[in-house]
Amino acid sequence: MEYVQHIVNGVLAGFLLALVALGFSMVWGILNIINLAHAAFIMMGAFLSYYMWQKIGLDPFLGLPITMVALFVVGFLLQKYVINLVIRASLLVTLLLTFGIEGLAINLALRLFTANTRAVRPSYANASLALGSLRLPYTLLIGAGVTILLTLLLYLFLDHTWTGRSIRALALDRTAASLIGIDIGRTYALTFGIGAALAGAAGTLIATYNGFSPGSFDPYNVLAFSIVVLGGLGSIPGALVGGLVFGLVSEFASVYALPQREVIIFAILILVLVVRPTGLLGKRGYNI
Amino acid sequence: MRCSRSLLLRLTLGLAVTLAAAACGSNNNAAKNTSPVSSAPAASATKAASAAATAAATSAASAAATPAAAGSPSAGAYTGPFDGTILFGAPVSLTGSTAKEGGYTHDGYELWKDVYNAAGGIVINGKHYKIDIKYYDDQSNAQLSATLAEKLIKEDHVNFLLGPYGTSPTLQVSTVAEKNQIPMVDTNGAAESIFKQGYSYVFGVLSPAPKYLQGIIDMALAQNPKPTTVAILSADDPFSVEAAEGAQKYAQSKGLNVVYYQKYPSASTNLTAPLTEVKNKNPDLFLNSGHLEESVAIMQQAHQLDFNPKGFGFSVGPSLPDFATTLKADANYVFGATQWTPQLKYNGDDLFKTPANYAMMYKQRYGVDPPYQAAESTAGGVAFVKAIEKAGSLDPKKVRDALASLDFVSFYGPIKFNEIGENVTKPMVVEQWQNGQKQTVWPLEAAAAKPLWPTPSWSQR
Repeated sequence: MEYVQHIVNGVLAGFLLALVALGFSMVWGILNIINLAHAAFIMMGAFLSYYMWQKIGLDPFLGLPITMVALFVVGFLLQKYVINLVIRASLLVTLLLTFGIEGLAINLALRLFTANTRAVRPSYANASLALGSLRLPYTLLIGAGVTILLTLLLYLFLDHTWTGRSIRALALDRTAASLIGIDIGRTYALTFGIGAALAGAAGTLIATYNGFSPGSFDPYNVLAFSIVVLGGLGSIPGALVGGLVFGLVSEFASVYALPQREVIIFAILILVLVVRPTGLLGKRGYNI
Repeated sequence: MRCSRSLLLRLTLGLAVTLAAAACGSNNNAAKNTSPVSSAPAASATKAASAAATAAATSAASAAATPAAAGSPSAGAYTGPFDGTILFGAPVSLTGSTAKEGGYTHDGYELWKDVYNAAGGIVINGKHYKIDIKYYDDQSNAQLSATLAEKLIKEDHVNFLLGPYGTSPTLQVSTVAEKNQIPMVDTNGAAESIFKQGYSYVFGVLSPAPKYLQGIIDMALAQNPKPTTVAILSADDPFSVEAAEGAQKYAQSKGLNVVYYQKYPSASTNLTAPLTEVKNKNPDLFLNSGHLEESVAIMQQAHQLDFNPKGFGFSVGPSLPDFATTLKADANYVFGATQWTPQLKYNGDDLFKTPANYAMMYKQRYGVDPPYQAAESTAGGVAFVKAIEKAGSLDPKKVRDALASLDFVSFYGPIKFNEIGENVTKPMVVEQWQNGQKQTVWPLEAAAAKPLWPTPSWSQR
């Protein structure tokens, strides 16, 4: 019966991880950029939520639209004026560029905000919904809801709007897309912006769940990367499934082999890739 | 851009110091002095200037942070000239996972330097030597710390080494110190494995790791209802493991039943699985040895999972101000091990005198109460001053021997090293957060308040 709590823990953590991976997956699948600045965007989202809560008492989840719009703008501008300069270069170049941006952003944050550990603590922080002997933390429940909502919205956007379809078209064939009149530069920037907005949302969730400082976001790049690979590149449900699997595996690995947890998680990742190289739900091309 | 302006400033500073040192040096009777002493300061000043140019970003922090000494020194500030400089090297984590603690270490060194310089620096044979410290940021990376220590010794020609923050970097840096036979005072690395290496040039002012959680266990056993079971959750870095193993052995020797003992990958903040397991075992006392971010995560997740032992005890975390500012009310009732608190009653044979006075001086300069990491860093500097003045020389071997024979009480506590360089004379202290205030609750002689036990459950708060 104790396992149910573990399943709950794993699933709730999994939703958080899925949101972390969602933006990363989009940017990688469509722009073919492995965005190492993803962790920096998550950090920015966390700090923005923190300061809004600190200064004007705005609940972090209510402030989520503001955080996402702000991060969207940051991502859009960054792509349009900086990353766009190397967009046609090899993957390695964009990797280096985004790596540099991440280093710059995190150290800037360290200078501006100092290394203090902070957390966003609305009144319901750390309180849990009690179902019998189970405990479901409110912040994670809301986070799970947010993740599901955003995943759904993203899916609908990419599938049912012209802008969304133009993004998918771009991923399929860049030349053909420009031939039919899609503004490549603007579409790339839009995609990157959406990726950044999703990262910002993940940051907000993380800020309510854990204490954080500028240096605590480094692990999220590797996590996002691993989840996307596991769930399948080029698939939105893949990011969700990947996140949930990751969360559950992480939780149960911690129960049975806590010191070797990381080894087990990545061993399973490698195993999945050996059996299914495109990941659990991956398809070639960004076909949702 | 920023780089070249800072470079220009440093070269000008270096030039000014060189000219001043040369001017002062020419006044001295150079023949009688031990030659390394008089030539080293001038050389190290220019070396410092040129080496600083290559480390613009990291050293800029220390240059900006050392204006005229802000701490209030005791009787009459020294206004005379310095006959030379003694250069200390310090690889410290200013970024990365232990950036906060590294910052406190840096601040502790700076306070020591400025207070002692204002009082005349280090005096050898009647001559006053200015203390200077060269920092590099080891980014909380142990291997990098060792590399930077090599750099400090080989390129910057430091006379002595001040320890980094954390056991892992200290382990690596201690090897570098020993290999180069440069005396090093370890201020923030508590693992016994550092001292078990059989080195003779490394001395630690802090209490070693296995002792960390023993104070909390003793305190708990003196409470009513007396605990009978204990769960130990530890990070897997060398320091945390030693503290956990020391706690496990000690708990068992005192008749406690250790119902859970596990290690998690260091710096993990997702600990819901082990906490759920621990909750099912229902221990009276919960002990963790790890670092700040983990302690915060554990308390948050303990609240979420509704885990209610009679007492929470941490080796690191509760002693730091961030613990309570982040957790707010959830920090109450938590016990933390600490090397030192401002409420202790030592009468130190140094310029800080008492813990309360040190706290006042630190707060005046930095605006917050000093955590023990800062105090033990300052104490490391104080130990060096005592040893150098006792040796009457900067010769590494002589200073090493002087360090080995130190036996005095500082504001930080008694400092006396055993044959392997450990300071076994200083006891570990226990604090508890009560109503948003940190109180020293153990040992009883130094306690400012009684421990609150048992901890009320989350739903009752």
